[in-house]
Amino acid sequence: MSLSAWVRRARTPAPAPVAREFAFLEPADLFDLEIKDDPEASPVLCCTGDPAGAAAFNALWLKRIAASGRYAGAVSVRGQGGTPAAEGGVEARAHDLVQAAVTVPRQAVFIGHREGASWAALAAGRYPAAGLVLVSPRQFPKQPPKPVGGPPVLLVVSESEAQSKEAQAVTDAYGVAPLTFAGSPDEVFKGAAAEGLLDAILSWLAPKK
Amino acid sequence: MQEYSSQAAYDRGEAVCVIGAGASGLIAVKNLRENGFEVDCYERDTVLGGLWNPQNQHSPLYPNTHLVTSRSQTEIPDFPMPDDWPDYPSAAQMLTYLTAYAKHFGLSEHIWYGSEISTIEPVEGSRFEVIVKPAAGNAARRLRYAAVIIATGHHWAPNLPAYPGQDQYRGTVLHSSQLKDASRLRGKQVLVVGGGNSGVDIACEAAVNAAGCVHSVRRDSWHLPKYLGGEPADYALARLGSRPKFLRRFLTDRILKGPGRLAARMGIDVPDHGPTGEEPVRNGRYLEHVGDGSIRRRGEVARFDGYDVSFADGTEMRPDLVVLATGYRPKITCAPPGLLGVDGDSPYPKLLARMFSPRLETLAVAGLVEPGVGVLPIVHWQTHAIAHWLHVRKGDPERAANFRRQVVSESGQYEIEPSGASPRHQLAVDAEAYLASLGRIIDTLEQEPAK
Repeated sequence: MSLSAWVRRARTPAPAPVAREFAFLEPADLFDLEIKDDPEASPVLCCTGDPAGAAAFNALWLKRIAASGRYAGAVSVRGQGGTPAAEGGVEARAHDLVQAAVTVPRQAVFIGHREGASWAALAAGRYPAAGLVLVSPRQFPKQPPKPVGGPPVLLVVSESEAQSKEAQAVTDAYGVAPLTFAGSPDEVFKGAAAEGLLDAILSWLAPKK
Repeated sequence: MQEYSSQAAYDRGEAVCVIGAGASGLIAVKNLRENGFEVDCYERDTVLGGLWNPQNQHSPLYPNTHLVTSRSQTEIPDFPMPDDWPDYPSAAQMLTYLTAYAKHFGLSEHIWYGSEISTIEPVEGSRFEVIVKPAAGNAARRLRYAAVIIATGHHWAPNLPAYPGQDQYRGTVLHSSQLKDASRLRGKQVLVVGGGNSGVDIACEAAVNAAGCVHSVRRDSWHLPKYLGGEPADYALARLGSRPKFLRRFLTDRILKGPGRLAARMGIDVPDHGPTGEEPVRNGRYLEHVGDGSIRRRGEVARFDGYDVSFADGTEMRPDLVVLATGYRPKITCAPPGLLGVDGDSPYPKLLARMFSPRLETLAVAGLVEPGVGVLPIVHWQTHAIAHWLHVRKGDPERAANFRRQVVSESGQYEIEPSGASPRHQLAVDAEAYLASLGRIIDTLEQEPAK
């Protein structure tokens, strides 16, 4: 975040606060002796453009992330799931994401899916995320802000999207090559393809803590 | 010459030493770590949070301390406060916030508590030898660091005035930092000395708790309510800064007309300079308490006499309790004054761009400014610049030399001419100009090196 971007933001009205729906699972919540909590590993915070919001991650994602020893959280931004609708565009949704991130115990990794990837990219411009994972981004900003603190960035797209303009935009902005997964970009929340995708993300995260 | 100490000192290599674990120290540690530096932070007390922690033995908190700048203008830029907090969080919330910041970024493991730095000595290779004196009587340790950042703050050494007859005074005199509980005011005749933010806040506490409150003010300053035009006052004023110049003056005058007239009605001469110059007093209740007579304003204290206090205007009173809300003087005990450009007995360092030592490239001070706006964001950008500077200096000496020249030329642009006799405004800077200057400094540091 540059100083001028901060000055601009501090002088525009802040988005109206909303009571955000937040779902989380810690490794200890799984009651499984096999699972070791890794206190060094960065927590993960997920968001999606899907209208279900945080609830979309309940089926598979939160459990599987927690099973890898990480704190797993998911947030519904304004208008999604159990979070009331409120005024504000993408900036307000990025604000919701940052506000959720600062309540996570430690510096979090953002995982954004669909529109959520765009919000995560904006949020990473004002909060030093420990990592930024963009899954099948949609409506991606043309010039996303430079991520604060230089986190590692991962782009994951379905095979059908590998040549899409979003994938190209992300590649240009962050200089990362896309990782592809089989299956539809909207069906990432359960099923065999989703498990494969999630395991790929978690193994990318593993050495980075 | 250095042979003995270099054998005895433990060399920490490229690590940086941060002195103080208050708000500025924590921000410095976080930003240095983000730029890949190893950091050791030394805190002489046993708790973090500096002035915001009531357990800190040098804490300046008085009953009911709240922020005087609003949440959105005070939060650390990359770690916002929860948006359901009030506009003006309390001291307890500030401590919660700083503790969360330290926990979130894993800062505690880099802080050594109960370790006072007795002195720092420059040694060869623009490095420092730091002598750490543990609180619990063990022998001092010597360590070597590549750089030192002093973040010891300037709100811990009380500034105590000496009035004639004060040592013979038979009543109770407290500095504002010793007043930890509003019940001490209850049922007393209270004299509050000092017209800064703390004096005005304590006078308001006394107005509702004490039997009577007299407020002695030496010189008038701007009084702003905490809200202007339905918005937090500092936010409303800062927003005007983004308007075109010709409108700015007009809008500022319009928004300040009401508070200015109210102050004039209460017999306060508003100084000529705008409220953004010196730190204005930000309290919406004070003038109403003056208006309903529960605070009586007087001029300067002339002398103490037995149980009585007389004022410069010839009036007298017999207070049960005198609270000296006379502020603090900056005091840096850990570094030789010469390194910070101090000349003579003045406690005020002369730093380049208000943060870099004029003598040594690897010594910097964080948070020794009074910008009249929330200071945490200023410290964030200061330490951001310092961390980048140390980074550039390590990799590219030529760029570093150019940068040094720029910093020297930047210094002094944002000085505010002290308009009165009060020495405390030596730390004041014009926030707008200082931020612009910090922006230019950071831009230079972040530029890609010329090939």
